[in-house]
Amino acid sequence: MSAMLRLLFFVVSLSPTLLLVTWDGSLSWALIDGIRLHLTLTPLAGFFLTLLALAAPLVALPMLRRPCDWPSLVLYVLLLLGMQLLLLAGDFVSFFVGWEVMTWSSYLLLLRSSRADMETSQSFILFNLASAFLLLAGILVFFSLTGDFAIRSLAEPSLPQALTLLALFGLAFLIKVGTLPLHIWIPSSYDQAPDAFSAFLSGSVSKMGVYGLILLPTLFPDALASFAGRFLNGPAFGYLLAWVGVITSVVATFKAISQEDMKRLLAYSSIAQVGYITTAVGVGSSLAIAGALYLALVHTLVKVLLFISVAGIVLQTGQRQFKDLGRLIERMPISFFGVLIGIIGLAGMPPLPGFAAKYLVFVSLVDARWLLLLAAMILASTAAFIYCYKLIYAPFLGHANSPGAKEAREAPWPYLVPQVILMGLLVLFGLFPGLAIDVLIDPVLVGLQMAPIGAESWAKLTTVYGGYDGVVLMLVFGIAFVLVTGLFLLLRGRMRRAGSPYDLSFAGEVPTADTPLHYGAGMGRELRRIPLVGWILRQGTRGFYLGLAGQMRAAAALLGNLYVGRPQAWILIAVVVLAASLAARAMMGGL
Amino acid sequence: MYHKTQCEGFQCEQAMLEVPGDAETVREGVLDKLIAWMRQRSLFVLAYGTGCGAIEMRPLMTSRFDAERFGIIGAATPRQADVLVISGYLALKTLRRVIRSYEQMQEPKYVIGLGSCTINGGMYWDSYNTVKQVDRYIPIDIYVNGCMPRPEALIEGFVALQQRIKQGGKAGYHQYRENIDWYKANQRKALGEEMPPAYTYDWYHAGGVA
Amino acid sequence: MMHAVVDSLAMIGVSYVMGFLFYGFYRQLNARIQRRWGPSIWQNFFDNMKFFFKSETLSHGPMFFFGPMIIMAGAFTTVLFVPFLKDSTWLQGFSQYGNLILIIYLLVVGPLGNALAVGSSGNPFGVMGVTRGLTRLMGLEVPFFLGLALVMLQHETSSVHAIMAAQDGLANWGIVTNPVAFVVILLPFIAAQNASPFDVVGAPVEVYAGPRVEFGGRLLGVLMTQNMMMSIAKLVLVVDLFLGGASNVLVLIAKAFSLFLLTTAISMVFPRLKTEQAVDFFWKVPLGIGVLAVILTVWLPSWSA
Repeated sequence: MSAMLRLLFFVVSLSPTLLLVTWDGSLSWALIDGIRLHLTLTPLAGFFLTLLALAAPLVALPMLRRPCDWPSLVLYVLLLLGMQLLLLAGDFVSFFVGWEVMTWSSYLLLLRSSRADMETSQSFILFNLASAFLLLAGILVFFSLTGDFAIRSLAEPSLPQALTLLALFGLAFLIKVGTLPLHIWIPSSYDQAPDAFSAFLSGSVSKMGVYGLILLPTLFPDALASFAGRFLNGPAFGYLLAWVGVITSVVATFKAISQEDMKRLLAYSSIAQVGYITTAVGVGSSLAIAGALYLALVHTLVKVLLFISVAGIVLQTGQRQFKDLGRLIERMPISFFGVLIGIIGLAGMPPLPGFAAKYLVFVSLVDARWLLLLAAMILASTAAFIYCYKLIYAPFLGHANSPGAKEAREAPWPYLVPQVILMGLLVLFGLFPGLAIDVLIDPVLVGLQMAPIGAESWAKLTTVYGGYDGVVLMLVFGIAFVLVTGLFLLLRGRMRRAGSPYDLSFAGEVPTADTPLHYGAGMGRELRRIPLVGWILRQGTRGFYLGLAGQMRAAAALLGNLYVGRPQAWILIAVVVLAASLAARAMMGGL
Repeated sequence: MYHKTQCEGFQCEQAMLEVPGDAETVREGVLDKLIAWMRQRSLFVLAYGTGCGAIEMRPLMTSRFDAERFGIIGAATPRQADVLVISGYLALKTLRRVIRSYEQMQEPKYVIGLGSCTINGGMYWDSYNTVKQVDRYIPIDIYVNGCMPRPEALIEGFVALQQRIKQGGKAGYHQYRENIDWYKANQRKALGEEMPPAYTYDWYHAGGVA
Repeated sequence: MMHAVVDSLAMIGVSYVMGFLFYGFYRQLNARIQRRWGPSIWQNFFDNMKFFFKSETLSHGPMFFFGPMIIMAGAFTTVLFVPFLKDSTWLQGFSQYGNLILIIYLLVVGPLGNALAVGSSGNPFGVMGVTRGLTRLMGLEVPFFLGLALVMLQHETSSVHAIMAAQDGLANWGIVTNPVAFVVILLPFIAAQNASPFDVVGAPVEVYAGPRVEFGGRLLGVLMTQNMMMSIAKLVLVVDLFLGGASNVLVLIAKAFSLFLLTTAISMVFPRLKTEQAVDFFWKVPLGIGVLAVILTVWLPSWSA
């Protein structure tokens, strides 16, 4: 019985794949008079459905490990169905229903974790509900303008109408994406969610916000290009959004460096990565949108990989703090390679696809002539090396710092299979940077009526600014590596293995097990001495939100003053309101 | 601690230590000669500077004496060093660190004993806490005597070491490897409880191939 | 195929020979400034060979061994992706398959691979050194990349070949047509070469030699070699971008040497900065100049147009 149910669950987790393969045409029916619901698969939604199809079964595997938490599995199925509805939606009603199902099921899934505390779950649901209500308000405004719920571009919106729509929809999606200062629900909820589910939260759920952000410009004629003018070689409105994204990445990167918990570090890194995507969406050119989609693809692969690897470590050692781990490279070699490939992708190093994605975004920024943004983005992506190094050094290298880390064994196979698959995919996309362009991204660009990037061959990434060849790069590096190693081993002389991990050059001293040798927790702490970084790390959004709460309370108290216990006052207020409205009517147009 | 045995220090052991060296004739090819020549042109020095001789080592690197023209330059860690300079007397406490540093150096490695204290304890000959003969504990290739020797003398010692490296043949580290038990026994006698753990030297027995 | 192999070997050879000669010259000049005789110009070659023929090398495990191999492979790859000459079929390597941004990232691949080796040695001083190195990288990369972006914008391409081809004649050299960009990258470039005053990362007296603390014997030889080759690759890259490239090896050596002389002259006379001072400096002075350059050369023309 249990086995059947599990099999069924796994099949359902494959449903995005099945949908992707089998869906053709569209579905449409009337809900009530004059309002039609419409399900269709646009190329853009198809791209995000592909991401979902990649992530869903891989996250489902570790969730299936005994003992299963059945309510989580049910909620996960619900979440998947909600997200598919969201992606298929051709009208805002189904979009909203999908959005709400996604919000609520992920909230309930978060609650299944024993570590989830009140504050985290409250901030999660508050922010996500705010996002949903903003979305609802936006949809209603949209309906009032068009008289229809179908997702299509407006005819001729006036400036205030466009601004209202942009603000409502934009805020809704930015909350989901988690840009500054709307990010505060992310770190603690990614941290406290069930370990395997964090992978899905970061890898897939956050991508729905990105989907919305890319969908948003299509609601307007000529996709906002002429809205609010142009700045240098790009849309001025996008310049603002791009700065929001870049500041998000910079701040989140430094926050990530200062974290002492693996999952919190990954959560902040997730915010930073989605910040890059936001920037690219802000640039809005075809190169930039290609970059944004590429980044979304890489981020999905990398974050699912990293969160599952980390979940394996937490499962086997029971530790999640950097200072309590160490030297797992000998005990968990496959997880080591998982994290290694993951951070290479995360840091955007060639030859993995993270580089191709960053290359597109950098080139699009140069093309738009937004060089200051480029500099800020370089800052974030170089500083990311530090947290990437921390992520691999502290658990896997150095010295084991806790009994759990000293005795851990390799993670069980439901954790390893997704890791191996994802590593393979990352290497594949790295070897063939043109593959993702050709198969996944160009159809979307064509669907959005943009110039496709085009790929000469799958091995090549070509842009007007030049490109590179992934196969040649990988071959040169591989051959050089083999040659160097071979030549080295040909040289005369003995190699000797150190007799003990404590056989260290330590100023003539002999360190023992009691010597603090693991640098995991301290790494990045000294960064605070750099004035700018220290300033960033001292800032927090908590003050802003506390201030906001205080203002709200004061406003509520002011309103509360009106509700006094005396009926005379009520009548007085009613009379005043009536008189005021009559006066207003009279002034506006006469009775 | 310095214990009297049936025959003391140099009287019986010096003979044993001096037997190899040029007695062994190693057939060397052109490549070996070339390598030996490069080796003597490039000596990275780990200066063990707790004795008073350390004050004579600083000027060696500066403009006046300029040891760099001989290819002699300071190294930061024992892993990178070729020459260990023991600058003066060794207390028992520092002996342990010197042994550790010496064993961490990668072969070929050489030791220069600077000042009289490394030979026979010098002016500390009757101190309870000072090592009298350093070469009972680690093999010394070149002694530079004096109290203190001037930097010129130290340079002369380096040049003599370079000559010896160029000629090839066995050096101190060969002796250390071959007579490891004797050296370790002496060290254990001196250090007692403070002896470094076994993993720091047991590879000398194992042949140590990784 | 044969051509590519010979060409690659030639590039590696040229960069190695240039590397140890330049560094030998550096040590000579440094000695003369300090009124010493200094070592011979071949000293770096001797040092390197000595390390390669050490008879014993300590290893802390497979990752520790592969780190230097990765950094060396990274150095080879970097050298092969930088075109050494223009208008020539020789000394090109695989540069037509790459671009400027790729080269900048390739410069970092090797050191990051080696950082894994440093971490797996378990020596906390090494990891401290790596963290310092990454922090400095974070500081220098921002103005460095901004300067290069100005060049990319000027030529509207990220291909080093195209940028080189555009600089025909002295009047079209990057340093003449875009002097601000050169000023912006100059100091970060010195830091990228790990030269004084930004050499806190690997300097012998700083946290016990930093990242190299556990490396000895042949592995240290590998690290020395890649350092020399990587320096030459960076020098040649800047020559390609700002000094018009070179059409034969002699011109290349002359141009790279004059650039080396310039950076050496700067690094000889300044004392070492702490890591955070260096980063703060990069974010104030070179980045400040960079921001000014962006405003002057990108914003103002677009507004006046």
